[in-house]
Amino acid sequence: MHRFLKRRLDRMRLKDNAYSYLFDPSPEDEVVSIDCETTGLNTKTDDIVSVAAIKIRGNRILTSEAFQATVKPKAHMAADSIKIHQILRSDVAQERRIETVLPDLLKFIGSRPLVGYWIDFDAKMLNKNVQQLLGITLPNARIDVSDLYYDRKYSKAPPGTKVDLRFAEILADLNLPPLKAHNAFDDALSTAQMYVVLKDLKARGVFLKRVRSWDTPLPPVG
Amino acid sequence: MPQAFDAQNPPFDRLTHAEINELRSTIDIGYWGPGEVIVARGEASPFLHVVIKGSVEERDGDEVEHVLRAKDSFDARALVHGAAGSTFLAAEETLCYLLPKDIIVRLIKRNTGFAAFFYSELSRKLTDYAEQHDDNTGGVNRVLRARVKETRLHDAVFIDAGATITQAAQMMEERHNNTLFVNDGTRTGIITGTNLARSAVLLAMPLDTKVRDVAHFEIFSTNADDFIFEALIKMTRHRVRRLAVVSQGAYIGTLEDVDILGLVAGNSQLIPGRIDRARTIEDLELPARDIQHQVERLHRQKVQVEVIAEITSDLNRALFAKVFDLIAPPSIKEAGCLMVMGSEGRGEQTVRTDQDNGLLLASPVPQTDLDRFRDEFTSALQRFGFPPCPGNIMVRNPVWSQTIDGFIRQIKSWVMTPDEYSAMYLGVFFDAVAVTGRGELVDQAKAAMSNMMQGESAYLARFAKAIDQFEDASAGVLSAIMATVGVGSDVIHIKKSGTFPLVHGVRVMAIEKGVSATSTAERLNQLAQLGALSQDLTDEMHSALNYFMEVRLKSQIEAMRTGRHEEEAIVRLGELSATERDLLRDALKVVKRFKEILRTRYHLGML
Repeated sequence: MHRFLKRRLDRMRLKDNAYSYLFDPSPEDEVVSIDCETTGLNTKTDDIVSVAAIKIRGNRILTSEAFQATVKPKAHMAADSIKIHQILRSDVAQERRIETVLPDLLKFIGSRPLVGYWIDFDAKMLNKNVQQLLGITLPNARIDVSDLYYDRKYSKAPPGTKVDLRFAEILADLNLPPLKAHNAFDDALSTAQMYVVLKDLKARGVFLKRVRSWDTPLPPVG
Repeated sequence: MPQAFDAQNPPFDRLTHAEINELRSTIDIGYWGPGEVIVARGEASPFLHVVIKGSVEERDGDEVEHVLRAKDSFDARALVHGAAGSTFLAAEETLCYLLPKDIIVRLIKRNTGFAAFFYSELSRKLTDYAEQHDDNTGGVNRVLRARVKETRLHDAVFIDAGATITQAAQMMEERHNNTLFVNDGTRTGIITGTNLARSAVLLAMPLDTKVRDVAHFEIFSTNADDFIFEALIKMTRHRVRRLAVVSQGAYIGTLEDVDILGLVAGNSQLIPGRIDRARTIEDLELPARDIQHQVERLHRQKVQVEVIAEITSDLNRALFAKVFDLIAPPSIKEAGCLMVMGSEGRGEQTVRTDQDNGLLLASPVPQTDLDRFRDEFTSALQRFGFPPCPGNIMVRNPVWSQTIDGFIRQIKSWVMTPDEYSAMYLGVFFDAVAVTGRGELVDQAKAAMSNMMQGESAYLARFAKAIDQFEDASAGVLSAIMATVGVGSDVIHIKKSGTFPLVHGVRVMAIEKGVSATSTAERLNQLAQLGALSQDLTDEMHSALNYFMEVRLKSQIEAMRTGRHEEEAIVRLGELSATERDLLRDALKVVKRFKEILRTRYHLGML
């Protein structure tokens, strides 16, 4: 009920009616996988440096019509994060500001549910800017692949099972090819692949095998 | 846009950087759960699929023909010919890159390296298909001997010469046809999409330019009743990629090279034309070398060894026939029959290891003619890179080039009063195939041989005894394999332990049962039908033979590379993977079983 009300309120608060499509029903069986690379992990002080979004229609990942943009951040690009995403200050000097990228991105994702890994973080990063532009936060539904993975892997696990939801671990467990990590497009693509596989496992009621403690090899003796 | 799409994965390694980028920008990714059909047999596919993860079964009915894994692609046939030859089904959770048909076809037309790879894959499937559905003729030959009208032609669409470039482009778009015939009074021309693009973009001609001013009025055409290879020769000769097709004086369509390339392997389709056009022995040198080069190329392209052998023997026979045609004097052409024997006759030779050939004459010819022919023929073949036969089974040897009467007497002495080589000579001859000239002579000599041996268990047994020529190589090796798994420095002679006992044993049974086929596969097939061997065993023997040929071809190609020709039939166990060793062991077990059957059948233990 809370979500429903917030949605109604947001619809009324929307500053620019050109964006009312965000509240339309989502196209059938479509979602958007999205990933942002940022200057750091603090959603208050850090900014987006690149963003990629890939539509998924049914079981097809539409890489041919993906959205990709590099952004010139307001926040200072910390040396630590440059090491991770390898986007240099000089790379973004000529790029567009998030204010001009955002309308295109919103148009691309429309009212489709957003799929991501730790999607709340990406949504928060985007919402800082969406708030300024539209006076609301993104009304799109959110799907976190780590939740889907948890559901297929650990929902029936006995208490005390060690839970591992790291991105690389999910990728390896689902047998997906490793891509160049920390590149917005490749991360969004990996996420999309996780999504279609996990969605199918769920539809077929299949659970992923857990390594039980007695499956791990005994330490060598002597 | 996925950068992860592997541009180094053949055939995509043949695309330019720009082409790869163009391709990447169009790729989507599809997902299928276990048991879902990806492409159904007989259906067209809008995509070429490249497996990212998972596995895909290629099925013919309920039978799984291949299992495709990461980086494998399918299905060329569904793409180009609009109908998949098999059903493709996800065996587990499977992700595939989806490469749109349009761009693949565009790249095939533009990039011949890409096209060649792509089509040899296609041709492998087509050949498989042809073999399954047409027992009498070889796949490749069948395609080359097909008529132009039997291929899928592009319709003939006509436009008036007074129409504009824009109108022509619209018409191409509407009719899905890249080539238009141009009516200009009494003359007819042709205009293609490339012509239009060149005029409008490169030459900046106005869009209302008349078609008349950009069309070609020199049309290269082929008749609808022509053979495919004739059309190919025309394309090569005139360096064009399409021909107008004429039937009863009217243009009925166009034929493009990609349509034909789709039907034949690699570049082998061009070799017969070049052999055909040769006027001198020198002219044949290049195509002769190309036959050999393409063995390696086809192998690299993962064409089945059986198919490689078939293509190669078709081409070699065409080559021999041409050599005969060029150097035989009229007397020999009149009376003679050129034959190939041994592995060449069975159609099981890939890399040239020797030459087994001979000449039978219906009646005596002048000695000077014969001497000159013997010498010239054998040296021509040597010049083309056929090593001389170690057993001297060559036209040059008078024993193997004589009158039919003399030769039948020779056979009789081999059968009745054998020495240590007789069984080998008889065996090699029993595989003979007439290449050109009076083919009935070969049949006659073979019939004589069969008559002498059939029902004569002593002769048959002596002939069969040769399977033990390299006694117990396989038994010894079997235990050696067991002992050396993982470490082995052991070597195995594939021909002695594998191919020879199998081929020779089948040969003996073929004589006994009056089977006239020459290829081991076909002999097995007929022996099974006659009930002489069980279907299961013949299937296993067939697979074992293919496996030996495959392994041998690999080591032969390696030997060509290193120049260590004495090692061409040697396989080092240590260099095999665990799976390959398993397969080898299984194949050798089949040989062992078969040898035991032969020993009992012909009472070899008593000899």
